[in-house]
Order: sequence, then structure tokens, then C-alpha cells
Amino acid sequence: MDVLETIKTRRSARSFADQPLGPHIVEAIEEAILYSPSASNAQEAHVVIVQEKARIRQIKRFAQGLSGWPAALVILCSNRDEALARGGIDSAETLRFINLGVAASAVMLTAQSLGVASCPVRSFHGESVAAIAGLPEAVRPELMISLGYADQPPRPKTSKLLREMISYEQYGN
Amino acid sequence: MNSTEIDVSREELHERLMDFAAYVLTSARALYREPQSYGPMRLADTLEKTLELLRAAGVQDEAVDKAMTAVRESRPLAMTDPERFATALDRSIGRLVQATLSESGRDKE
Repeated sequence: MDVLETIKTRRSARSFADQPLGPHIVEAIEEAILYSPSASNAQEAHVVIVQEKARIRQIKRFAQGLSGWPAALVILCSNRDEALARGGIDSAETLRFINLGVAASAVMLTAQSLGVASCPVRSFHGESVAAIAGLPEAVRPELMISLGYADQPPRPKTSKLLREMISYEQYGN
Repeated sequence: MNSTEIDVSREELHERLMDFAAYVLTSARALYREPQSYGPMRLADTLEKTLELLRAAGVQDEAVDKAMTAVRESRPLAMTDPERFATALDRSIGRLVQATLSESGRDKE
């Protein structure tokens, strides 16, 4: 599947089959994370991949936006201290979150290219997820991605008109 | 309201109760910062989870289940089309009104 086709066919999945991810899927996700760019090449993010059913249930308990029972969770975490040390104030204040967004996109598109559905989730109680995932104080969960094999068709895509989202040369043109 | 067989163990019921309590509390906490349209959606999901929990515990109500039909059908629209979801809520509420009147016998007057 080429990149644009992968982007266009990806939809957020909210119901998953009871089927684990194969090792090659997890390895591909790991590579996607490692090869994601970061501002100033700070590489300050940390990612926790959760596949144990019992731990997924624990996390789901405190993640009201997490639908269905995914085969895996990818918890994307920021580290403000490391961002400041390696990427300066811009990274500490803003870029560490952008870096996570870039990594999240790489994870979801890699999964999609391998036939694995995904859904980004921000509706969770951060302190609770941090406690369950055993995160140190400086490492905070910012975004989760659920991964698995969708067992329901995706909802139709709705998006703004091109002219509402994209201008040429100057805003509004 | 009907009582039916309990189809899960007490241990599983306890787990589901914990899931439910955590869901409601984390939802309440998050709503201080989330979009306004998340509120009705979380409440509808809370009711759905309540019904699932009660069903697992052997309690079921046909009138409530029927009333939920409109909300269930429109649930995907809760965030993208709040007005249509609000209309679905109205339809479900209307079904409950009918059930209420039916219970009291006022609909026959």
C-alpha cells in the first residue's frame, strides 16, 4: 500500500477482534517510533507498548475515550526535563508535543499499511495511566494509540472542503 | 423490570463494577476540559454501561432497552452532529414518557 493510500484508508477503529498482534507487527511499530523525526533530534519521547490483556484492562478502566478491547496500546509519553536538556525551551514548551504527534502518525500509518487498525486516544486520566504503566515522575503520558484488528466497518470520513483547510501563497487564496 | 439469570461470576461482576466506577469518575474529571459535546455522549455511554452491568447482574427492563434504540443508532453522531444526537435523545426520552404513562395507566384515560 502506498503512503497516500494508507493515509486515505486509515480510520479510527473502536471495536476490535480478540486477536493478538504478530511479532512482525510489533517490530514494525518499534521501527516506526525509532525512525520518527524529532525537533533538534532531541529524541526525548518515551513509548510504552502494552499487550498484556490484564494491563490493558487496568488502563482502559481509567481511559474513558478508549473504545473496545484492542490487542495493544501504544502510550506516547513526553519528558519535559529531557526535552529541555536536549532540545531547549522550544522543545520543553511546545515541540515535545509536536514530536509525539509525528510519532503517533508514523505508528498509525505503519499499522494501517500492515492491515492493523488504530485509534488515537487522549481522553484518559494521566496520573492513573502513569501509575499503571510505572512511569517515572518526569515522563507523562500524552497520547495513546489503540491497535488491533477491527471487527466493524469504519465510519464514513467527513472532512472540510479543501478551500477551507488549504490556501495558496496567502491565507484565503 | 425483569429479573433474569445472572450470567457472570461475582468476581467478574466486581471487575465490571470497578470498570464502571472508574469510567464514570474519569469521565467526570475530564469533562472540565473536553468539548461540550462530550458531555451528552459520556452520559449516554454511562447509561449503556449501567444497563450492561445490570443485565449481567440479572436485571433487565424492556421499556428502557426499547427507549435506547434511537440513542444507540445515533451514537456515532454524538460529536459530529450534536443536533441530530439531541433529536435522538428527545426520541428516547419520548419513549420513556410513553412507558411511564403506560405504567401508570394514564395513556388509557
